[in-house]
Amino acid sequence: MSATMKITRTEGKLFARDPIALFFGLVFPAILLLALGYFFPGFDEPAADLDGARYIDVYAPMALVLGLATLGLVTLPPILGTYRQFGILRRLRTTPVHPARLLWAQLAVHTLVAIASAVLAIVVAVAAFDVTFPEKPIWFAISFILAAASIFSIGLLVGALARTTTSGQAIGMGIYFPMLFFAGLWIPRRIMPDGLLTVSDLTPMGSAVQALEDSWFGLTPSMTNIVVMLVWAIVIGFIAVRVFRWE
Amino acid sequence: MAVIEVEGLVKTYGTTNVVDGISFSVDEGEIFGIVGPNGAGKTTTVESVEGLRQPDGGTIRVLGLDPIKDRYEITQRMGAQLQESRLQDKIRVAEALDLYASFYDSPADWHELLERLGLREKADARYSELSGGQKQRLAVALALVGSPELAILDELTTGLDPQARRSVWANITEIRDAGVTVVLVTHFMEEAERLCDRIMVVDKGRVVAIDTPTGLVDRIGSEQQLRFRPSAPIEDDVLAELADVTAVAHDGAQIIVTGTGNVVHAVTALLAQRRIIAEGLRIEQNNLEDAYLALTDSDGEPAARGEREDS
Repeated sequence: MSATMKITRTEGKLFARDPIALFFGLVFPAILLLALGYFFPGFDEPAADLDGARYIDVYAPMALVLGLATLGLVTLPPILGTYRQFGILRRLRTTPVHPARLLWAQLAVHTLVAIASAVLAIVVAVAAFDVTFPEKPIWFAISFILAAASIFSIGLLVGALARTTTSGQAIGMGIYFPMLFFAGLWIPRRIMPDGLLTVSDLTPMGSAVQALEDSWFGLTPSMTNIVVMLVWAIVIGFIAVRVFRWE
Repeated sequence: MAVIEVEGLVKTYGTTNVVDGISFSVDEGEIFGIVGPNGAGKTTTVESVEGLRQPDGGTIRVLGLDPIKDRYEITQRMGAQLQESRLQDKIRVAEALDLYASFYDSPADWHELLERLGLREKADARYSELSGGQKQRLAVALALVGSPELAILDELTTGLDPQARRSVWANITEIRDAGVTVVLVTHFMEEAERLCDRIMVVDKGRVVAIDTPTGLVDRIGSEQQLRFRPSAPIEDDVLAELADVTAVAHDGAQIIVTGTGNVVHAVTALLAQRRIIAEGLRIEQNNLEDAYLALTDSDGEPAARGEREDS
């Protein structure tokens, strides 16, 4: 097996041995939907305060973005901080394998978990709340990939700068909660005031929620949302790679 | 052929030269020790040799190659154990070895390494479950898993208890016997004295001395001291007249005889002849630690113990 495959497999195993990461990264979005449906009557019925939309239709795409944000901003940065703090990246530099491969392995593992987590949440939405399968699957896949790329690049940038596990956690969390706010977790985008909505559109998560919701329910996502995610992914990803410190 | 050749190495942080013109060479098949006070530039030196740091001056050749330009080739042939480097808490010993083995073109058989380093029964243990000694032995195993020609070990036994330290020492000797050149950074003089063929003493970024352990001790003089309580009185003059005795003194009931060369034999022979028993006999000799303290003066105190002989 090639070194890259082996690193990715090992990092995958290590991820799977962390029950907290596994819970929040993999199953939390699905469980959140189930819990909301269970505790809030009318969750899957048209709601007047959402202009007749159902809460589940708004929260299903949001759950996917929440999963991405948890993986990208809560689990990824401390792992990279730990690897730097423990000298694991530095140790790799004395081998023929460049430590960058460890980063790609982490991104690969996080992407795989993100996809699995999204599939779980979609299955729950479809099976338990009678939501349709994404109606524009190609656009839906594109939106999801861009959402993952833009959110993970932020996590990578935090991980690039965090010297330790704790600073990775602290900075990641400091971005996580405001981002979730702009994504509409507390005030759904449908009922956001115009000013807030504009700000939300400019954040990767706000755009991700909108693009996923649109493609899920048969619309072509707006170019604004697609471009916003693309720009974040490229710009932040580029900066992260440039400022990344191996020790 | 020299495995490592360092000529005039300079490394600057801010305005201080942490390494200030260090030159040395390491021969094939030897255990080369680097000792010196904290902050003397030992780790910076070996990290430059490993290609982890870009020197600000001087040249480094490792196995005839440039550590930075020929990084890939060197890393295939060199194994390293870094100071304060650890592994992921949840990785298993066997997984780590299997993973690192996959990095190299011609890796060693890691099962055999596990056996050799006494980690066999720990193969399935997680890194966090290992003792300090086991972690260090795993670090040695990882440094050897690429079947390197050169192994650089930085403060390998720091923080280990005496038993664990001794078992790691035995491993290092075995590595050398297997034909691997070893560079050992340490601040345990006993370790350097026992293991190293040659030792480089570094202080304030400069080389103070490079010599064999005995060569270093000889630099501060080969004076020896006998302390004992004679079972019957003996005159100072008789002792003082013996060959190689330089001084005789008293400390309560104890006699202290200082001398060089065969002084121990001369005194004990005399006592035997007179049927006097030397009770509580202690012989003190300069060891590497004395030589080290004499050669380095990082506390700001001048080298006080032993006559200083600069190389």
